[in-house]
Amino acid sequence: MRRPWACASALILGLAFFRLSGLAQTPPPAGSQNIDELKKTAVKVFIDCDDCDLDFIKTEITFVNYVRDRLEAQVHVLITTMATGGGGREYTLTFIGQNECRDLQDVQKYFSSKTDTDDEIRHGLVKILKLGLMSFVARTPIACRIAVDYTRPEAGAAGSDRWHAWVFSLSGDGSFSGEESYRRNMIDGSFSANRVTPGSKLKLGLSVDTSRQRFVTEDGIVTGTSSSYNASGLFVKSLGEHWSAGAFAEAMSSIYSNVDIGVTVAPAVEYNFFPYSQSTRRQLRALYKFNLTYADYREETITGKLRQFVAQQSLSLALDLREKFGTVSLEVEAQEYLHDLAKYRVNTFSVVNLRLYKGLSLYVIGGYSWIHDQIYLMGREATYEELLLRLRELPMSDNYFAAIGFQFQFGSIFTNVINPRFGSTGGGGLSIHMD
Amino acid sequence: MTIRSTCRFEAALAGLLALFLTLAGNAQVPPPKPPGPPPPPLLRVFLDWPGADIEAMKTDIPFVALVPSLDAAQVRVAVRPEGPPPPEGQLRIELSGLGEFQGQNNVLTYTPGREEKPEDVRKGVAGLIDIGLLRYAAKMPVAKDLSVKFLDQTKPTSVNDKWNFWVFSLSGNAFLSGETQYRSQSYYASISANRTTPALKIRTQVYGNWSDSWFDLGDGTAYTSKTRGRGAYGLVVWSLGQHWSAGGYLEAESSTYSNTKMSLSAAPALEYDLFPYSESTKRQFRILYRIGLTRASYYAETVYFKTAETLLQESLNFAYEVVRPWGKASLQLQGSHFFHNVKFNRVELEGSLEFRVWRGLNLEINGSYTRIRDQLALSAEGASFEDILLRQKQLATGYDYSVSVGLNFSFGSTKSNVVNPRFGTGGRSISISM
Repeated sequence: MRRPWACASALILGLAFFRLSGLAQTPPPAGSQNIDELKKTAVKVFIDCDDCDLDFIKTEITFVNYVRDRLEAQVHVLITTMATGGGGREYTLTFIGQNECRDLQDVQKYFSSKTDTDDEIRHGLVKILKLGLMSFVARTPIACRIAVDYTRPEAGAAGSDRWHAWVFSLSGDGSFSGEESYRRNMIDGSFSANRVTPGSKLKLGLSVDTSRQRFVTEDGIVTGTSSSYNASGLFVKSLGEHWSAGAFAEAMSSIYSNVDIGVTVAPAVEYNFFPYSQSTRRQLRALYKFNLTYADYREETITGKLRQFVAQQSLSLALDLREKFGTVSLEVEAQEYLHDLAKYRVNTFSVVNLRLYKGLSLYVIGGYSWIHDQIYLMGREATYEELLLRLRELPMSDNYFAAIGFQFQFGSIFTNVINPRFGSTGGGGLSIHMD
Repeated sequence: MTIRSTCRFEAALAGLLALFLTLAGNAQVPPPKPPGPPPPPLLRVFLDWPGADIEAMKTDIPFVALVPSLDAAQVRVAVRPEGPPPPEGQLRIELSGLGEFQGQNNVLTYTPGREEKPEDVRKGVAGLIDIGLLRYAAKMPVAKDLSVKFLDQTKPTSVNDKWNFWVFSLSGNAFLSGETQYRSQSYYASISANRTTPALKIRTQVYGNWSDSWFDLGDGTAYTSKTRGRGAYGLVVWSLGQHWSAGGYLEAESSTYSNTKMSLSAAPALEYDLFPYSESTKRQFRILYRIGLTRASYYAETVYFKTAETLLQESLNFAYEVVRPWGKASLQLQGSHFFHNVKFNRVELEGSLEFRVWRGLNLEINGSYTRIRDQLALSAEGASFEDILLRQKQLATGYDYSVSVGLNFSFGSTKSNVVNPRFGTGGRSISISM
């Protein structure tokens, strides 16, 4: 029988006649024997984070025990993130007490800035994680070996924001790879200007992507080129905890879609069934858009058009949940052209990643689209190379993708150990990152 | 044609920008913040401990302001003896959040030792109150001046583990996609058993993958492509102090992409890290030597007229990784050759850098170059037009490279912490790693 948990005892403490059974040791001498005994009764923690440097957390926070299964833990730390107006991330750390600690709950926040490096972010996260874990650690005997340092602050000046919440970002990427008979070059660039406040959101973006592949075959050289341009804008005004209204705008060009230049303006309105303030954990948003599009085509379309002005309406419903048992994200979108109601499309998309039972996790990622609105397709047939290299959109009535998987783990529940020898690859395990 | 489209594109863009600047003008500007920073407020705590030396407690809990009344407090801390009178009993410490911290409560206990003097008891209780109050302080500006230290070093293996650190894992994955004229499916499955302790690392895995794609060529015919792979590997590494490790690899592999029907290899290896392994999350410089014997058989006769052969190969690998506040960098150099003919060799250089040049200016570079002189498995049959375009067979080459460079410059109000999820946050990215 293991030594009873301090947390367990603290819980029972609420009852009238409680006899303490050997927890809350007196401050022990820091002998290694003793401290390793204390470590055995340390809090069992499950870190539920898609985007954390877990090895670093485990080397920096050594006064808890890490477990690989959420049900074994006394505290489940659910870390969710949202983008901030400044281009950084808001990390929400929800400390969910379980088993002997189920009376304890806490929420802490950490903000990273766009200019922070990975090292700064992992240090920041470790700090807030330590502070949040302390309520749980305080219930275990190892608490007597924790010290809190406080450095008295010097008077600091809080800066006023001379940029009025505007954030600008300019990016360029080039990627080049090849061998003797194959080469691929990709270049993209983008610019964005965003202003995000609680009352409104304004996003402007410009991006250019080009890609070129070159193959040496016996019949000669085959090249495949694709490129696209895109300028987009979004303005949203907040109307309380559930409603928002605004407009999307886009100008784009794409060889794949046969569009030389397409301009769309779309006023829109959104209703969130959950309050927006809970967005990091749950959202159910219904968005209605009314699109007005002018398109100029690269090649004559299947209906013989070189340019076209069309109106289209769309309604989408999106559910996002991040719970202890996993992630659920479902989306369905229906759109139709007003000049011909038979020209419609329905898109569905789902991400379900569940930690079902001890050690068993399951994910299903999938999308299915019914497509009856490819009015922009080029009139001619795609060439053999365009077909194999997927350089042109082809006529279709539907398309789908799916990724399904499971993982079942059993054995030791502890994951305290970091062993970097011979490299740290091949550890196995499954993780799904979502932004 | 190109020039025309560019002009149109710019015109459209200018129109869009004009539209948005008008919209932006209507956007609500929040009132300017009052000038002059107020001093960062401390957590206000009402300490309810009859008979305690409050002045001494102020020194013991320096990051809070002890207030004399409950009305002004954000947290109430009540300390009461419980059970038999001291020295046998213990002290119950009740933390209750008030106001904005309503509902954030905790109950702790402190058991004094038999020999403890009243002053030691006070210090012990203060230490526990310190720790208990951190959850509230973490939500206030004072958090940035606080740090938590663990006074000891512990062994990560100090746990009661009936499985003795073995973890077993089964995993199966399917990836499917398609449209009217195209379909693709791939499957990946694996079974693994791993054991990680500071002294010994064991990794074993058996895996298989299948991948098919299907193209409708439009003229009533279709083209189907298939690739298959399966294998198993095992790795054992013993720790020999803070700098040395020794171990070995066992591998079995079969792959249609590389014309390998079956390849079995055993390779002992030795590694030296210039830095102690305990610093591995911050920096590593690992030098790994490996010598391996391989028995390989091929699907098709190779360009060297072999259908099977036994090969001895050695390799040396230098890997440097560093993570620092300015960013991170890694550089890897690997060289290998076969013993039956040292002309069959390969040199591989790989590096990556994420570097914050100046404030919002970030540079990211990834690159690799391989000089290839050891394509022993290359099929004499050559590759078809489709094999080449769909990259389903390894091709003869003397090198391969890949470089990517990214530069990002952000300026403006980059410290803004406002979250506004309305109309979505602009797309999702999902990555699955196995």
